[in-house]
Amino acid sequence: MALTGVEIFKLLPKTNCKKCGFPTCLAFAMKLAQRQASLDLCPDVSEEARQKLGEASAPPVRPITLGTGESAVKMGEETVLFRHDKKFVNPCVFALGIKDTLSSEEIEKKIDEVRNSVIDRVGQKLKIDAIALLNDSGSPEKFGNLAKILSEKAPEIPVILCTTNLSAAETSAKLYADRKPVIYGANSENFEEMSKIAKNYRATLGIAASSSGGLNELSELTEKVKKLGIEDMVIDSGARKAKEILEHNTLIRRAAIKKNFKPLGYPIITFAQREDNLLETLVAALGITKYSSIIVLSSIERWKNLALFTLRQNIYTDPQVPMQVEQKIYKIGEPTEESPLLITTNFSLTYFIVSGEVENSKVASYLAVMDCEGLSVLTAWAAGKFTASKIAQFIKESGIEGSIKHRELIIPGYVAILSGSIEDKLEGWKVTVGPREANGIPAFMKSRMK
Amino acid sequence: MAFIPPKETYPGRVYSVSIGTGQKEITVGGENVLSFHSFEGTVPNRPLIAHEIQDVPPTDWPESVQKPYIDVYANPVSWAKYCQDVLNAKAIALRLIGTHPDRENRSAEEAARTVKEVVDSIDIPLIILGSNHTEKDSSVLIAAAEASKDRNCIIGKAQEANYKTIAAAAVANNHKLIAMSELDINLSKQLNILITQMGFDKEKIIIDPMCSALGYGLEYTYSVMERIRLAGLAQNDPTMQQPIMGDVGMYVWKVKETIADEKDVPLWGNTEERGITWEAVTAISMLIAGAEILIMRHPKAIEAIEKMIDELM
Amino acid sequence: MLIIGEKLSIIAKRVREAMMKKDKGPIQDIAIFQWKSGAGMIDANIGPAEDNGEELMEWMITTIQEVVKLPVCLDTTNYKAIEAGLKVHNNEWGRPLINSTSNDPERFPMLELAAKYNSQIIGLTVGKGGLPADAEERAAIAAEIMARASEYGVPLEDLYLDPLVLQISTSQDHALKVIQAVKMFQELNDPPMKTVVGLSNISNGCPKELRPILNNHFLSLLAYEGLTAAIADPHEIAPTVKTIDVIMGRTLYAHSYLEM
Repeated sequence: MALTGVEIFKLLPKTNCKKCGFPTCLAFAMKLAQRQASLDLCPDVSEEARQKLGEASAPPVRPITLGTGESAVKMGEETVLFRHDKKFVNPCVFALGIKDTLSSEEIEKKIDEVRNSVIDRVGQKLKIDAIALLNDSGSPEKFGNLAKILSEKAPEIPVILCTTNLSAAETSAKLYADRKPVIYGANSENFEEMSKIAKNYRATLGIAASSSGGLNELSELTEKVKKLGIEDMVIDSGARKAKEILEHNTLIRRAAIKKNFKPLGYPIITFAQREDNLLETLVAALGITKYSSIIVLSSIERWKNLALFTLRQNIYTDPQVPMQVEQKIYKIGEPTEESPLLITTNFSLTYFIVSGEVENSKVASYLAVMDCEGLSVLTAWAAGKFTASKIAQFIKESGIEGSIKHRELIIPGYVAILSGSIEDKLEGWKVTVGPREANGIPAFMKSRMK
Repeated sequence: MAFIPPKETYPGRVYSVSIGTGQKEITVGGENVLSFHSFEGTVPNRPLIAHEIQDVPPTDWPESVQKPYIDVYANPVSWAKYCQDVLNAKAIALRLIGTHPDRENRSAEEAARTVKEVVDSIDIPLIILGSNHTEKDSSVLIAAAEASKDRNCIIGKAQEANYKTIAAAAVANNHKLIAMSELDINLSKQLNILITQMGFDKEKIIIDPMCSALGYGLEYTYSVMERIRLAGLAQNDPTMQQPIMGDVGMYVWKVKETIADEKDVPLWGNTEERGITWEAVTAISMLIAGAEILIMRHPKAIEAIEKMIDELM
Repeated sequence: MLIIGEKLSIIAKRVREAMMKKDKGPIQDIAIFQWKSGAGMIDANIGPAEDNGEELMEWMITTIQEVVKLPVCLDTTNYKAIEAGLKVHNNEWGRPLINSTSNDPERFPMLELAAKYNSQIIGLTVGKGGLPADAEERAAIAAEIMARASEYGVPLEDLYLDPLVLQISTSQDHALKVIQAVKMFQELNDPPMKTVVGLSNISNGCPKELRPILNNHFLSLLAYEGLTAAIADPHEIAPTVKTIDVIMGRTLYAHSYLEM
């Protein structure tokens, strides 16, 4: 049973020592209740409290880190089933599968592809996060060789070591000791030995159920492995077909979150590889939307990456943070130095609607969009973000004065009250009050033309 | 700890809606679970993908998606027949974009003639779309509805500003109606209420909560669709149990990711494959979120989506 | 329950014009009407008031307190205007209330003012950018604001936690989360923390005829969870407030209780 913040608070030392990084024990307790902090941050918590809190404060999907250092990626920690309820926490990891049947040159080429996969999109650096080593040859030597090339040529890239062969697992895990790889993995035949290897090299263990055993076999396996002292796992139900991936991923996430069913409270690994590359992309898209934490791909063309990165970014956006557009002067149509200049805030819906209506008016214009933390006009004004002095400063710094001859600024009707004050602060400018609602813009613009 | 699959059952069900006539009539909806969740309920019908064509040549479409239709697009009839006979389309969506006052400004009569010619030349179901100009659409869609009388088409889009005339035309000519609102679940419900308050059958409405392209607000459409589906199923809300439509192609084939040449953005890779992928990924997201009907453009994107649906059903 | 009269807001045209012209008449009329309708405090919302904030807030407070014997809730993001207002506030009629601080560092200086002028203060449970997703997040922010208040020397009894009411027409799920937050806030301290809401925000953007219905029913639910204060239209909610008091056993019932 999850405890409330206040219940947790009662178990804390109440010293307000700040060692956890929070200002008070109460603030820390509230964060624990939301599973946004770990109890380990408190050095003074009593053993009794730790036991009581242990289970309760553990996130329903265990947090796992893949890799170390700057390229390490976090997985798990999810708290909801639908993104409109609350932000999905840790974006899924994309891993390129590399077969150990490839030549060294081919392998190096693939490494380069992963390294060069970085794309910048709306201020975020997006990339292929990891490499999955595939033991297609069945030979431990070949797999060891692949692991050796990777650990030497690309030591920074996190890896998933996919083999069921114990000696291949041992050799490769040794190369990645303490670098947080996933060893995938353990099945009902080899889990005892695999657990030993994972333990020895402090690796996360990938648990694979057979396709016939499904979620039942999977939950039994994770419980057995846990008894052997392994805490960090990622899980695979054996689902490969899209229909099964959807079914299993949904049941796993529901069991973890709604039933707090610990044996399935681990990140999910999904193998999306297909002959048909576009179909593979769509299976990966299914994984992104429906709860996969690692998605293994057979190829990473740039067009494919761009689409998958973008979908991941969209799905993992915080639904509580208003979507914002970049602060700048947008051109609508092909404005000249005589074209009108309008201003609004950077709440994306406001921007979409205002720019759409300006477009409808068929008058080429400049639209100044000001950063107001994504608030709409009236809210931004009330919150002190869309004020005369801030508007004046933005207009001055925007450089628009170099692009237009006139000095007239059209402001939204809702902030008519600001017109005089803006004129005081923007010397030589005239402020015109536009319509209150965006749908009045076409008529407003037309009437100005006369 | 034994694993008991946490399956969900819902009190609600999506209405089954049939479109078209005769042997090629198609039914969508009818499920009592979330998209493709056949493991816990029934999903009697697969989602329907309609091929988009328009009444005037698609000179505003990017080259990659004009190309497949270059030999047929001069004439909407040959375009429709090509989709039906060569591409095996299951439905056609005819967009009367040429009626927009800022485009060719074709009259309602001209549009009606096009509709009549197209509907007479195909036997698969037809979706008839206006130009999204609320005033013009009122007159155009009335004429179009009459020209396709009793062919059980879907017509739209009816919006808050023009739903009365369009809904009346749909009733008079036995069509289904698209009710469109702009990314707001509350307004979507409100519009459905207003339309049914006119006496329009709630089981003949298709919800269009407004589509958006991958990277351009997709998450808004995604969540609105998910929430509509949950309201219909979990809350058993009769005003939110209609099939959902995603007008995918129109929103996808205007963003820079589907247009920009690889020469200008080498980091984005091949232009054509990128465009097709953009449309297909947007489409699959809409289907997962809850859409039963999609309108799409590129034959390869449609083909991939059909394959994916095969895997999901 | 403490009712803080919301009608003196710059958003309202009549009030805005009176403020611009420094016309005391309408301001005082509205203040008196709210007082008669049951307000225990009057909110003075002057907007961000970048240019003449100090003078405007002074004028508002003296204008209001000339005619009603009530404390004022100083409502603006303008720090200097708040300070100017606190200097002239007549504490004989009760202690003033600053509206507001939050978990946004830009708003921390408000706590300094509360400590310096022995004022009460509203802590809006939002941080910088982004809205709290649920009651738990609101409570977590509340705990941080409480810690901050203690740092600045503001006693917790003087802090009113505000869970931030959102419009039901666009953020329906938050209505219930706000009710839950009001309950949770009280548990954060002993004696329980005080709570306040901007009530009519719930019905912002709704058809006019729906607004009083939403406001009044929302108030009943909040009151049941122990809400301390509401910034609201006293006239609109008076029957509800009286009825709640009867049902909760805080006033003795009589057939004419509404007329009292």
